[in-house]
Amino acid sequence: MINLRDKGAAIWENWSRTKRIIFVVTAITIVALMPYAGEFGPTSFLNTPISSYQAVLVYPIALFVLMGLGLNIVVGKSGLLDLGYVAFFAIGAYTMAIMGTTTGLNTWEILPFGIFFAMLAGLLLGLPALRLRGDYLAIVTLGFGEIVRIVALNLEVTGGPNGVVGVPNPPPILGQKFELDDHAAYFWVILVMILLVIWMVRRFTVRRPGRAWEAIRQDEDVAALMGVNLLVYKLWSFTIGAAVGGAGGVIYASKTMFIAPDMFTFNTSILVLACVVFGGLGNIWGVILGASILGYLPERIRFISNARQLVFGLVLLIIMNVRPDGLLPRKKREKIKAKAVK
Amino acid sequence: MNKKIQRSLAVVSAAALVFGVSAVTSATAAQKTVYLAFQAPLTGPNALTGQDELTGAKFALSEYNATNPAVKVELVLADDQGLAEIAAVVAPGIASNKKIIGLIGPAFSGATQASLPAYKAGGLALISPSATKVSLTDKKAPVNGFPIFKRVVANDKYQGPALARYAIKGVTAPSVYLVDDKTAYGKGLADYTSPSLKGKIAGTDSVPENTSDYTSVVAKVKASGANVVIYCGYAPDAAKFVKALRDGGYTGIFASGDGTLKATFPNNAGNTAAEGARLTAADVPFEDVATAAQMVAYTKLTGIKVPGTYVTSTYNATNIFLTCIKQGKVSRPGIQGCLSNGTFTGIAGDTIKFDRYGDILGGAAVGAFTIKGGKITYVSVA
Amino acid sequence: MNLQVLSSQFWSLCLQGVALGFIYVLISLGYTMVYGVLRLINFANSEVFMIGTFATVVAQVGILNNQTNSQPLHGFRLVYTLLFALVFSMLVSGILGVLVELVAYRRLRALGTNRLASLISAIAVSIVLLETTRIITFSRPQTSPRLLDKWSFGEIAGANFRIDTVMVIVSGIVIFFILDRFVTKTRLGKAIRAVSMSEENSKLMGINLNRVVSLTFFIGGLTTGAAAFFYTTVYETTQFNVGFNLGLAAFTAAVLGGIGNLRGAFYGGIFLGVLEQFASAILGSQWKSVTVFLVLVLVLLLKPNGIFGEAVQQTRT
Repeated sequence: MINLRDKGAAIWENWSRTKRIIFVVTAITIVALMPYAGEFGPTSFLNTPISSYQAVLVYPIALFVLMGLGLNIVVGKSGLLDLGYVAFFAIGAYTMAIMGTTTGLNTWEILPFGIFFAMLAGLLLGLPALRLRGDYLAIVTLGFGEIVRIVALNLEVTGGPNGVVGVPNPPPILGQKFELDDHAAYFWVILVMILLVIWMVRRFTVRRPGRAWEAIRQDEDVAALMGVNLLVYKLWSFTIGAAVGGAGGVIYASKTMFIAPDMFTFNTSILVLACVVFGGLGNIWGVILGASILGYLPERIRFISNARQLVFGLVLLIIMNVRPDGLLPRKKREKIKAKAVK
Repeated sequence: MNKKIQRSLAVVSAAALVFGVSAVTSATAAQKTVYLAFQAPLTGPNALTGQDELTGAKFALSEYNATNPAVKVELVLADDQGLAEIAAVVAPGIASNKKIIGLIGPAFSGATQASLPAYKAGGLALISPSATKVSLTDKKAPVNGFPIFKRVVANDKYQGPALARYAIKGVTAPSVYLVDDKTAYGKGLADYTSPSLKGKIAGTDSVPENTSDYTSVVAKVKASGANVVIYCGYAPDAAKFVKALRDGGYTGIFASGDGTLKATFPNNAGNTAAEGARLTAADVPFEDVATAAQMVAYTKLTGIKVPGTYVTSTYNATNIFLTCIKQGKVSRPGIQGCLSNGTFTGIAGDTIKFDRYGDILGGAAVGAFTIKGGKITYVSVA
Repeated sequence: MNLQVLSSQFWSLCLQGVALGFIYVLISLGYTMVYGVLRLINFANSEVFMIGTFATVVAQVGILNNQTNSQPLHGFRLVYTLLFALVFSMLVSGILGVLVELVAYRRLRALGTNRLASLISAIAVSIVLLETTRIITFSRPQTSPRLLDKWSFGEIAGANFRIDTVMVIVSGIVIFFILDRFVTKTRLGKAIRAVSMSEENSKLMGINLNRVVSLTFFIGGLTTGAAAFFYTTVYETTQFNVGFNLGLAAFTAAVLGGIGNLRGAFYGGIFLGVLEQFASAILGSQWKSVTVFLVLVLVLLLKPNGIFGEAVQQTRT
């Protein structure tokens, strides 16, 4: 099978610095113009029936990409299966909702708090849970995701099943307003966050933490023998992943102005994980592609109404079987044989 | 799978997308047609409520279109899965589609809350058949639905006290066990029911929706010595709960609100368990108010013999829009004015007029029902 | 906190918990059998259970033509109806289990790719099963008629030994016992254990790997189907989304006991059933799942491979 990822990497390596900069700038510009693609003639086929294309671009697509990148650090880079990633998203969202409605701070001021609380939760969960291996970690994280949702459902401060109403929109940046229907503005904010995460992940990958994660992913025991402090590096990857989820949650709550516990179900965790695996585990570009497609598809096929989710399931099933390593798999040399995982 | 098959799969899926596009564009080409949107959960775990309501809307529409009207009306199905996050994506799309002049829905209070800002901005009038949350029409609430939101269902503020009154009616020394289902609907109703029961509550519990096993709640009810159980939640769970209560030897009163008042409730609860249950509702069972001919036509259209939740209110909501369209109101402001000032007739012959904030004027009367011989029977005003 | 309930209802809660626990045991066998052999969480098992509950209703209402409002049956007709529905549900679920393996796992297994691909593939199959059932049933709950008159053997210390409670417990023990004997004593059972110990070596020993895997899914489906039958007989109602909560509980039970281990699933299931009853009686039903997961985390911290996890560890390569 053709490995587009390797081909792309080969072309990239051969380019000069200026060529690379031009390419990156053009690519970012094109992506930044995406909110207008729905109205622009040649690309209007992208427009979604019934739901708003621009709104879809923010959630699910952009936020799925952001969360997918965050989860990719945990699952793809260091091989820790996290089935409760939505918990961190929820913690960020509730931080924004509760602080935004009670303290009078604005979104940008609350953002660090949201990230902090998500990281704290990641640390508190990770300290005991990351001592567990493989599928035991999976079920504990799954449980944690459910616990966060149920606690939000049961407490008074989170509004119980009614959720929190009237979460404020962010204040303007450089004259750009963030009213409810300024979808493009939210898209650009999340795009900046995505770029930051990509930059961060690429830095990490070539430095010590990235190498430690890679070692842990390939074989925990060998990594430990080589002197990698397993718990410390696992905690790093876990809390960084949590921070990205928390940041996404803050922006999300601030955009929809209303949050409730049923926005943070196990289904969302699974969907984000599906984005990561579907796109290409461990490969940033694959995750971005996967999240874009899986976020976009259910909205694009709204014309089949009743069978929408059924078709979604079928597409997921077929693609997973045709391309088990995802649409854009990681580099061949990074791959390990299935046996080593066991 | 070999490469050839993979390639052909790719071609097929690409083709599907392209055909999908053409299907959409050709559908909007018809003349003299206006569109009403219908927003409810149509897929996913909450689909039952939305699919039931959809039958009411479709039926009202089929009756209307059968009269060969000058303006044809079609439904645009906006599936929000009952989730606020999907509603927040769907609502701006509906609001910006100028062909849509009115919206039936959303079904759930949470989804309504998430949708309101977009509809307010787009000036799109909506009538919800089932969002009962009080704050949606409360002028003091920080975020209410004024001026576009209307509903044809009594809100919890009226139903709660009525439910409490009816449940303990004629019981000497009532001792109430209050159970809700942890949904926005059930918790909301329970919160408005409990103040009327001050000093009479033996215990409370919140059992999340879709729980299978109610035996531990039954044990608690028995231990508390309660003689009245009030359940705030939907019919499928109420059926499981009342069955567990009766099988567990509980002989007192079982009472519940409009989420339970459905023909499916006595059916699902079995022959005897639901017998004598006390139910209140502002929404009445569709088969009680529809004519025999309508029921035959309904079954023929939808393939469903026993109508489910909120079919009557959805039917009424749809007919209110259709009445306005018949009067020649085919624009958003026209519909909005018609809804605010008009007087309408429900399927039971009742008069429907909306107050300033969108509730039915005088809609406070809540009916009391019981179950006799496996059938829901109207008793009195609760 | 509600401790007063314990004084009068303690044994009743225990009994109901054990009965619920046996349903968990039977479903969790579907997870644990597959995990033992493939080291994969079979996420589609919850939907196999869901289809099983509908198969029971179809057998009782559709095939044997009992109406929803019909009177309870007696004598031979009752035994025949129950047995037929049980076997029908087990077969449907068993065959579905095999199909799930063919569609979701086989190709990915042959390619030897990462386990997450199989996980997502299984979840995709779940979505397809769930949505198909939803569309066919108009999203509505289906009722199974009360064919079994629920008389009681009597009460002991407040615990009501009702026929359906007793039936679930007794049949649960019988089915588990048969399965345990099958896996430890028969040729096929030994093949399953061999594969779970080492795929490579069992291949060398001439075991047909694919056949053993199919067999594992079939058996897992059989027990899950039995659970579906008992569930439908006890609660008499089902819906397209019934699988999620029960599947999650059963999976938790399997992990509690030590996933991949038959006896672990047995004790884990019963422990979980009782724990749920007491958690919802004492703390309130809304805190039930939270309690369960906290206990799970505690157990895993003390015994990282589950309560009965050692056996799994030994079988690992």
